[in-house]
Amino acid sequence: MAEIKVENLHKEFGVGEDRVVALEKVNMQVQGHVFVSIVGPSGCGKSTLLNILSGIETPSSGTVTITQDNREAEPGYVFQAARLLPWRTVMDNLLFVQKDRSDATRERCQKYLDMVQLGDKGDKYPGELSGGMQQRVGIARAFSIEPDVLFMDEPFSHLDAITARSLRRELHDMWVQTRKTVLFVTHDVGEAVELSNRILVFAKGGRLEDDLQIDLPFPRDAANEDVAVAKAQVLRKFEELDLVAT
Amino acid sequence: MATVVSQAPLEEQGLMRVLKSPRTARILFPFAVLAVWYFIYYTIDSRIFPSPQQVLEFMWEEVTLTSGISYGSVVENLYGQFAISIMRLTIGFFVALIMGTVIGLAMGISKAADAFFHDWVMAVLAMPALVWALFLGLWLGFGNLGPILAVILAGIPFVIINVREGVRNTPKDLFDMAHAFGVPQNKVTRHVLLPSLMPFFFAAIRYAYAIGWKGLVITEVFASDRGMGWTIKFWYDAHRAHGVIGYALFFVIFALALEKLVFDPLADRAFKWRPKIDVVEMAEGDFGAVASEGFLLQESEADEVVSMKSMEGEPRDG
Repeated sequence: MAEIKVENLHKEFGVGEDRVVALEKVNMQVQGHVFVSIVGPSGCGKSTLLNILSGIETPSSGTVTITQDNREAEPGYVFQAARLLPWRTVMDNLLFVQKDRSDATRERCQKYLDMVQLGDKGDKYPGELSGGMQQRVGIARAFSIEPDVLFMDEPFSHLDAITARSLRRELHDMWVQTRKTVLFVTHDVGEAVELSNRILVFAKGGRLEDDLQIDLPFPRDAANEDVAVAKAQVLRKFEELDLVAT
Repeated sequence: MATVVSQAPLEEQGLMRVLKSPRTARILFPFAVLAVWYFIYYTIDSRIFPSPQQVLEFMWEEVTLTSGISYGSVVENLYGQFAISIMRLTIGFFVALIMGTVIGLAMGISKAADAFFHDWVMAVLAMPALVWALFLGLWLGFGNLGPILAVILAGIPFVIINVREGVRNTPKDLFDMAHAFGVPQNKVTRHVLLPSLMPFFFAAIRYAYAIGWKGLVITEVFASDRGMGWTIKFWYDAHRAHGVIGYALFFVIFALALEKLVFDPLADRAFKWRPKIDVVEMAEGDFGAVASEGFLLQESEADEVVSMKSMEGEPRDG
């Protein structure tokens, strides 16, 4: 079982007058087959947290441990922009992050391309695909290494509403099928409520303000009354915490 | 009642469509040049200005070695002169490419190296090829070394500047992605760093070659006793304009052939991942973006325009 443990995590950028605190003494723990969303206003340190968890940035102080059954866990990452190599085909983009190029690995990559409905696009270049399709390749790439935990940084924020909605459904199905631990950063409260078991609310200055459980059955439709109520509750929480931009 | 606010432009028919096509324009260009040439030939009374036939006849005689003219004592004909120039160009070109890449990489990676070389590169770039030609002639005499050095000096600043810009423009987000997935460094170099440098490297190759040619010919005019530049001067000294123009045309034909038969296919292979677009349309539509950085980075600029279009384009699927 995958476990993410964050203890006293602190991150600052700059020195002197330019000093900015991105994360302030954050403590959290995520375990097992859960979908956890991290929400908060712009500049609350959401992406910094994910960058530290994935090793792109180092913390100023504090510790982060990501384990899978007492060994170091392997993470997968989906970015805000797809971040594909434009000079490699879709299949080669998936193979780029694999440990080998064996037939079994290729079959696995093909399986995840099929899952995001791009099974026949393996030999296309990213430039030949639409924005939504590129993001699907990004999702397939993250799943294709069969990671223990999956970090996603606002993966649908660049897409139009309809594309984002269909990708959210696909992501939910893949999460159910693969039973991964997912940490999902978003500024869209509706998206967080539709997808997650748990929502971590961050405030400006990088403070973890609240930890909410969303105990509603899946699949959740935005039009469903319970989902709408839950969304309103989370938004009210935002107002209480004075997180709503004015 | 409904009012038509906007409608698709009507398809142009027949002759107009043929006349407006880029292919027609390309075919028409040499004819336009010939027309102007004949116009000047018949309107200006000159004993020296040649007609197109005179030039073509001269070129044919040179190609078939039937003119009976021998140039100097060592090499006697077009092929001999050409071979010497190409040998000098090739050596100079590869030296400029290798040295320029090493210095450009150093300047892109290290600020100290950039500070050390920057003014030197600008000084070499600012120096007219004619000054190199005269100086190299005085210093090294009429051998091979002067013209080869001229090619290197003319071409190397373009290689350095392009490679340096390539290193500075490496895609940080792709490196971060590779790092997040734990991809080993040698794989990152092969699949991320080198391909991202390719457009800049191709621009460097094209410029080093084109500018190197010019440096070579001018040096051969002033500081050599053989080669294409020297042969052009031979005909100049003999007051035979058809010889000067004929050899200049050989030079142009060779340059175009190399461009079409070597550089273009290489670029097509290296950049087959780029979305196919109408180059003319893009240049017209995004002229500002293509031209904004000047002429040094044409190849890479075009690449940026394309990738921006493809990455940020409106999603087209459902």
